[in-house]
Amino acid sequence: MGKISEKDRKQLKDIFKSLPQSVKIVMFTQEIECEHCRLTRELLQEVAELSEKILLEVHDFVKEADLAKTYNIDKIPAIILIGDGDYGIRFYGMPAGYEFTTFIQDIINVSQRDPKLPHDVLAVLSKVYKPVHIQVMISPT
Amino acid sequence: MEFPGIILDTSTIIQIQKPARNILYDMLIVGAGPAAMSAAVYAARKMINLAILTIDFGGLMNETTEIENYLGFQNINARDLVSRFEEHVKSFEIPANYGVPVKEIKKKDDFFSVFLEDGTVYSGRTVIFTTGERHRELRVPGGRDFVGKGISYCATCDAPLFRDKKVIIIGGGNSAFTTALDLIRVNAEIILVNLMKEWQADEILKQRVKKYEKIHFLDNHEIIRIEGKDKVESCIIKNRDTGEEKRIDIDAIFIEIGLLPNSAPVKNLVELNEEGEVIVDCLCRTSVRGLFSAGDVTSVPYKQIIISAGEGAKAALSAYDYLVRTSLI
Ligand SMILES: Cc1cc2nc3c(=O)[nH]c(=O)nc-3n(C[C@H](O)[C@H](O)[C@H](O)COP(=O)(O)OP(=O)(O)OC[C@H]3O[C@@H](n4cnc5c(N)ncnc54)[C@H](O)[C@@H]3O)c2cc1C
Repeated sequence: MGKISEKDRKQLKDIFKSLPQSVKIVMFTQEIECEHCRLTRELLQEVAELSEKILLEVHDFVKEADLAKTYNIDKIPAIILIGDGDYGIRFYGMPAGYEFTTFIQDIINVSQRDPKLPHDVLAVLSKVYKPVHIQVMISPT
Repeated sequence: MEFPGIILDTSTIIQIQKPARNILYDMLIVGAGPAAMSAAVYAARKMINLAILTIDFGGLMNETTEIENYLGFQNINARDLVSRFEEHVKSFEIPANYGVPVKEIKKKDDFFSVFLEDGTVYSGRTVIFTTGERHRELRVPGGRDFVGKGISYCATCDAPLFRDKKVIIIGGGNSAFTTALDLIRVNAEIILVNLMKEWQADEILKQRVKKYEKIHFLDNHEIIRIEGKDKVESCIIKNRDTGEEKRIDIDAIFIEIGLLPNSAPVKNLVELNEEGEVIVDCLCRTSVRGLFSAGDVTSVPYKQIIISAGEGAKAALSAYDYLVRTSLI
């Protein structure tokens, strides 16, 4: 049985119908997969099947270490969302629970090439002049 | 490990697309209150190319709790009604830019340029201007300093902060009495202060408020100063007949002294009346061909949701007729 229910699948198909531009999901796992890696990969495969605009690329963290390095990936499972370029979006772990909705919103934002942040927030962010390391911890409740 | 499952909450997903900058839209709708949303539904059904430019969705409806006079709903939570409006509009997949105010609208030849505060410009053959109103500020010493620190213009937002506290409401109309109802719910001690003699609110509201024990009415009085260290602590009120002044210790002041039209973006373009409202005729036409206006920002009296929604629908149909008659579509 699939990880996404028939009802959710239908709703997602509807939502994805209006995706304006393509989104590439790059995922890093490894040959002998950790359980989280496998479950994440299977979930992403189901998501990608729902729209022609969503392309999934799965890579091996160990065998393709150089590629992982260019994306700055140091742990798996890792998900990168790419639009016209790499916007720096990284999702580590499995987008399960409520994080699934957040993940879908990310796909929409990347497809629309629009971060959906108010202009005053963008204006403040444009003033960040040195690298800042922020990690958001979540639990899939 | 078992798969923990996924939760898909479609109500929180934002799907709206931004309008394109390089397109000449048939219609640009400025604002997204009931006037705008109703206009959008009518226009979208005509299959014309349109976009919405707004700061928020819902407008002034976001400031109230219960609505009891929108046809079809004896009583509906304002947030729910806004959600229903939004859902209806969003079903048409109309591109919208939100979060950035429109700064100015200009007309050149047969089309309009709409300039946003962040420098973005959108172009349209017609514009429906529905920016509503904003609160009139209380201009007394201390009136600006304590906004958000005891001075509030939104009871729905702030009343819960003043449970069991002592508050003043300034104003005598429906908004002041609705504010009183919000504060009655949190058991506040209330003093209603009105500049004018007597009270202008609807009788039904007055009756409801007057039943409350911890409310005092002071008409023909005015606030002349608000005082406090880091937040509101007291204010000075003056009897307008006798000139007598007294200090009242207070935790909060809710200001409901009327609204002013948000007509600044068109003030150099269309005719406004003395109140600054956009003058419209019965077809929602302004003094500029192709620019239509609806809702609270216009000279049409009785600022209400159902009236704004009706006017919005009319503006959209009128703009559509204009596009057809002038062979612009
Ligand atoms: C406390 C309170 C209680 C109320 N209770 C009721 C009630 O029970 N029943 C009833 O019928 N009516 C009630 N009203 C009145 C009702 O809310 C208004 O009549 C109605 O919302 C007006 O609709 P509108 O679309 O004309 O304007 P608004 O609802 O004010 O919407 C204006 C829109 O324009 C946008 N905007 C403003 N400036 C700009 C700009 N520069 N650029 C871009 N966008 C802009 C805003 O973001 C907003 O989306 C109440 C009002 C208040 C304040």
